[in-house]
Amino acid sequence: MITIPYLTALTTYFSYGLLFAFGQFRDFFRKIFDWWQASNLQGYAPICLGLEDFYIRRLYLRIQDCFGRPIASAPDAWFDVVERYSNDCNKTLKRTEKKSRCLNLGSYNYLGFAAADEYCTPRVIDSLNKFSASTCSTRVEGGTTALHEELEECVANFVGKPAAVVFGMGYVTNSAILPVIIGKGGLIISDSLNHNSIVNGARGSGATIRVFQHNTPPHLEKVLREQIAEGQPRTHRPWKKIIVVVEGIYSMEGELCKLPEIVAICKKYKAYIYLDEAHSIGAVGKTGRGVCELLGVDTGDVDIMMGTFTKSFGSCGGYIAGSKELIQYLKYTCPAHLYATSISPPAAQQIISSIKVILGDDGSSRGAQKLARIRENSNFFRSELQKMGFEVLGDNDSPVMPIMLYNPAKIPAFSRECLKQNVAVVTVAFPATPLLLARARICISASHTKEDLLKALEVISQVGDLVGIKYFPAEPKKQLQPGKETIKLE
Amino acid sequence: MYVRAEPTTDLNKNTEWFTYPGVWSSYILIVFFSWLIVLSLLGTSPGTAWTIVHLSHFFVTYHFFHWKKGTPFADDQGIYNGLTWWEQIDNGRQLTRNRKFLTVVPLVLYLIASHTTDYRNPVLFLNTLAVVVLVVAKFPNMHKVRIFGINADH
Repeated sequence: MITIPYLTALTTYFSYGLLFAFGQFRDFFRKIFDWWQASNLQGYAPICLGLEDFYIRRLYLRIQDCFGRPIASAPDAWFDVVERYSNDCNKTLKRTEKKSRCLNLGSYNYLGFAAADEYCTPRVIDSLNKFSASTCSTRVEGGTTALHEELEECVANFVGKPAAVVFGMGYVTNSAILPVIIGKGGLIISDSLNHNSIVNGARGSGATIRVFQHNTPPHLEKVLREQIAEGQPRTHRPWKKIIVVVEGIYSMEGELCKLPEIVAICKKYKAYIYLDEAHSIGAVGKTGRGVCELLGVDTGDVDIMMGTFTKSFGSCGGYIAGSKELIQYLKYTCPAHLYATSISPPAAQQIISSIKVILGDDGSSRGAQKLARIRENSNFFRSELQKMGFEVLGDNDSPVMPIMLYNPAKIPAFSRECLKQNVAVVTVAFPATPLLLARARICISASHTKEDLLKALEVISQVGDLVGIKYFPAEPKKQLQPGKETIKLE
Repeated sequence: MYVRAEPTTDLNKNTEWFTYPGVWSSYILIVFFSWLIVLSLLGTSPGTAWTIVHLSHFFVTYHFFHWKKGTPFADDQGIYNGLTWWEQIDNGRQLTRNRKFLTVVPLVLYLIASHTTDYRNPVLFLNTLAVVVLVVAKFPNMHKVRIFGINADH
């Protein structure tokens, strides 16, 4: 639940209205100029239809230097950001040779595996020498190596399910699996803030899609009851299958899913659950097994568990874990398994090694240390930000914390001012978030030390004062109290 | 003072901003401030200023709500390309609170404009024409109707 000051809401609407009006004026004059000058593009079809690229041309390109910054080193806790300049008001950006060393608050580097690791990297280089960089083939033809078999077993054990199948890309895992497990005559009920890959997969499946209010189990129950009573759209026959799709941690809100209540509702109405743990696997839970362990849900109750290896494991790819029959069926029908190149062997080895580190199978306690460190770092950072008066979303224990900005002008201001002080943050605006609710999203990593966090807090506090985003009153300074602090908001 | 923003179930990013708190007030305030600006810059009588605001409101809202089709970004793969903004809001459901509000605003503007110009004839005709076109365009029966094929898809 987001609490906006009313005046900020009004000024945000006004700002967007102004930006929209200016964009329309410029487009109007551009049309007149283009009509006036003959163009040499006779006979070519237009690339974009109508006003489809209005947002990109008139709003996104103006602040393009805040997005897509190229980096020149591995995305560890500190990294090199390449400086860019523009001669035509951000329409084109040119790279310079200069780099600045910045604190990385934007990478999904939850457990610190993004840079070279003392256990994982030697093994990855070994497997690169042994298996080469790519299998150059699909899983069913020549792309299944011993590493792939070991990886699938490892993942299934880690997640707590009988079997698993691994794909080369995380986005494709969602968009290629959903059409295979449900089709026309089925019903997909998905959370309103689900990721684009789930939306694409659901649209591609041909099933009817209904949306329930984000993380609100009573509304899910209401939608389920309504849909089960009505049946399929015109024939009113009973649905062939109902799947409820939720995510473990929502990457734009940092909130945990209310999994126990949702599982109870789905059991009551006999619907299947599909849990997308892209951000929560490896990052939450006592041994890193994700949101089921954190909230105490039995993994047998969740029918399909999906996740990606990009975030906590420092690799690439995605997996689906479920019962043996389900995985067998997927291996026969899923196009990502039958026609797409299998996951690259060094990437597979990185996942296997990082899972071994997390579980402590490499003989050291680094995994447990990393998990404890990320939990402490996230809780400390979040409580300090809330004490300073920022509006920070997300639950305790979640390593993702969005700071609300709201106004479109504050997005580039916050981003550029932080970069000047060598802190790199990721700001998220319109199509990824609702129009009003632009935010700066901070991802804490286990490789951030206490000094890094304190420096980040200092810089963010200064920039926050300058930009004016401390929407809540700050807590007065008192002595450090041990234990959990409860934050009182208005 | 603070308001709570509940996340909506509207998947269409082009229209879901209209369901958040503060939109109605912003709309009314923008119309009022544009009246003040017209009054101060052009120095006409208040009635003429209201007529100018009413007619430009007609042109702007007709163009953006009932003429332009589709969405200003490509993420939704063009599934709304045949629908105007008015047909897209609230997922196409008719007679919701937002739609009722948007129908009342031009009517109130018409009443203010015609009252402050004392119902004199040339401007009264223009104002009435504007409000009739706008209100008819917002009827539930006009959902997805294209008269004489004007503005229809290819």
